[in-house]
Amino acid sequence: MSSLHQKRARFKNLVAVLAALAVTFVAGAALAQGVPFGAPHPASAAMSGSGLAGWIFAEQAAFYRSLSGYIRASKDDGAAMWALFGISFLYGIFHAVGPGHGKAVISSYLVANQETWRRGVTLSFVSAGIQSVVAVIIVAIAAVLLEATAKTIGWTVHVVEIVSYGLIILIGLRLLFVKGRSFLIACRQFEWPVRQLEAAPSAAGMSPVFHRHNAGLIGCSHCETDGHGFHCDGDHDHASAWSHAHGPEPAELGGAGGWRRGLSAVMAVGLRPCSGAIIVLVFALAQDLFWTGVGATLLMGLGTALTVAVIATLAVSARQIAGRIASAQAGWGMLAMKAIEVGASALMIAFGALLLAGYMASEQLWMFTG
Amino acid sequence: MKRSIAGACAGLLSPLLMTGADAHPHVWVTLHSEILYAADGSMTGVRHAWKFDDMFSAYALQGIHHAKKGQYTREELASLAQLNVDSLKEYDYFTFARGDGKKLKFNGPIDYWLEYANPSLVLHFTLPLKTPAAPKALKVEVYDPTIFVDFEFAKETPVSLSGAPPQCLLTVDLPHQPTAAEQMQLSQLDATPLDASSPFAEIFANKMMVRCP
Repeated sequence: MSSLHQKRARFKNLVAVLAALAVTFVAGAALAQGVPFGAPHPASAAMSGSGLAGWIFAEQAAFYRSLSGYIRASKDDGAAMWALFGISFLYGIFHAVGPGHGKAVISSYLVANQETWRRGVTLSFVSAGIQSVVAVIIVAIAAVLLEATAKTIGWTVHVVEIVSYGLIILIGLRLLFVKGRSFLIACRQFEWPVRQLEAAPSAAGMSPVFHRHNAGLIGCSHCETDGHGFHCDGDHDHASAWSHAHGPEPAELGGAGGWRRGLSAVMAVGLRPCSGAIIVLVFALAQDLFWTGVGATLLMGLGTALTVAVIATLAVSARQIAGRIASAQAGWGMLAMKAIEVGASALMIAFGALLLAGYMASEQLWMFTG
Repeated sequence: MKRSIAGACAGLLSPLLMTGADAHPHVWVTLHSEILYAADGSMTGVRHAWKFDDMFSAYALQGIHHAKKGQYTREELASLAQLNVDSLKEYDYFTFARGDGKKLKFNGPIDYWLEYANPSLVLHFTLPLKTPAAPKALKVEVYDPTIFVDFEFAKETPVSLSGAPPQCLLTVDLPHQPTAAEQMQLSQLDATPLDASSPFAEIFANKMMVRCP
């Protein structure tokens, strides 16, 4: 076995561990049963929807294989071109249900960043759009202008991929820093009143933490000023549990800077073009139908965007439900949400790192062509 | 309440977990294989002819210099053929052989070339065994465990024996339609490690079996 296989096996083991963790969570949780595209877990999976994945797998392969016939036919048949576009769109929807296409990374980003579903949907579409456009640009420059070989195209995709995964890691690190700091501060704030109650007589000695709280660094700072220990839930507006001076405020995210950050994230994800799109484009070019290929690629992207948007919406909704449950539990509920955000940031880094480490395992355009 | 939070966590995690190796084929290969035997009746290797689907053929041919439009000579394709076999080394040529249950090792390919029969490229190559073997039960499987490449036996004469002892019997096992349980496994591909030894890969394996009693 080559090192690649070992790498791939290692990668899959890691994913398996993550999956096992998720399955552990799922046990006894009714909520997760409602996630149609969720990672299947053995107990319920055996009974429900077992055929769906296989069906999708078969359908998308059938759609893909029919593309070449439609591209050929569209040479002298306008109707075939519209059929091609329709099939490309459907292929995009089905294809993106499978792994890849940045769903995981985008979802992690949205969860970590408390994004709204509207933002999630928009970012999904932008990401899929970038993905299509990058495929078109690579083929246009490498194949049309430079008449490069498949090897060169594969190499270009490879480089773009590495850049994309590197950027994902960087964005994840930034998120982890912001969210981690926010979590640690919330943690300290959460433990503080317990210690405070125990050590009430010597409260003056608690100064370092106490002062920091009073310095207004923390959204909950009014808690300790009410003179009854830690009673945030008494007079607390729960919505404000989310507002921390650290990390982007929802309001701040709504501004131009927030969009820029969101765009940088989807840019990183979308940079990596889909191998299928590259192959379709080159095939169309070989039939002297490059522009037809471009149309097909853009519609594939539209289909992909729909699927990614659905997954992103699921992630955002799950987060909001968790948020609603958590907000009923002042103290630790907020802490739990912060922990989820930290976890999501860490996941984003993990995805980036795994993709980078196993980048050859994703879609090997160079399997035959170097 | 803690359980609901755990549920919400799982809900969050599930879409996030949909990543990993890509389980979409982007290359389709129709294969014809010939199992080679020496005069003494021992098996010496496998000769493959792999026909690529039209889209991947066009992709592989991109930028390859050729004198006549729509035609490629064996010489014009020589460098691509070299590239193909070099690249395939990493994947063990997708060819896995066992003799009486023991793994048989192949040397690097010999006699390799590409031919272009519009619209498809066909890759010819021979994999010689490191040491010729004469097992009672031989099994040769061709498949890509990552399912990026979808292998399918040619409809007519998918496999032939060349110079095999007369008592040897060839059977061919096609990849079957996945059962419900296997489809389930398919959907879990991202979470479950797949390796050559996993029975799951057999769904997609094109199996050639030769019994020489």
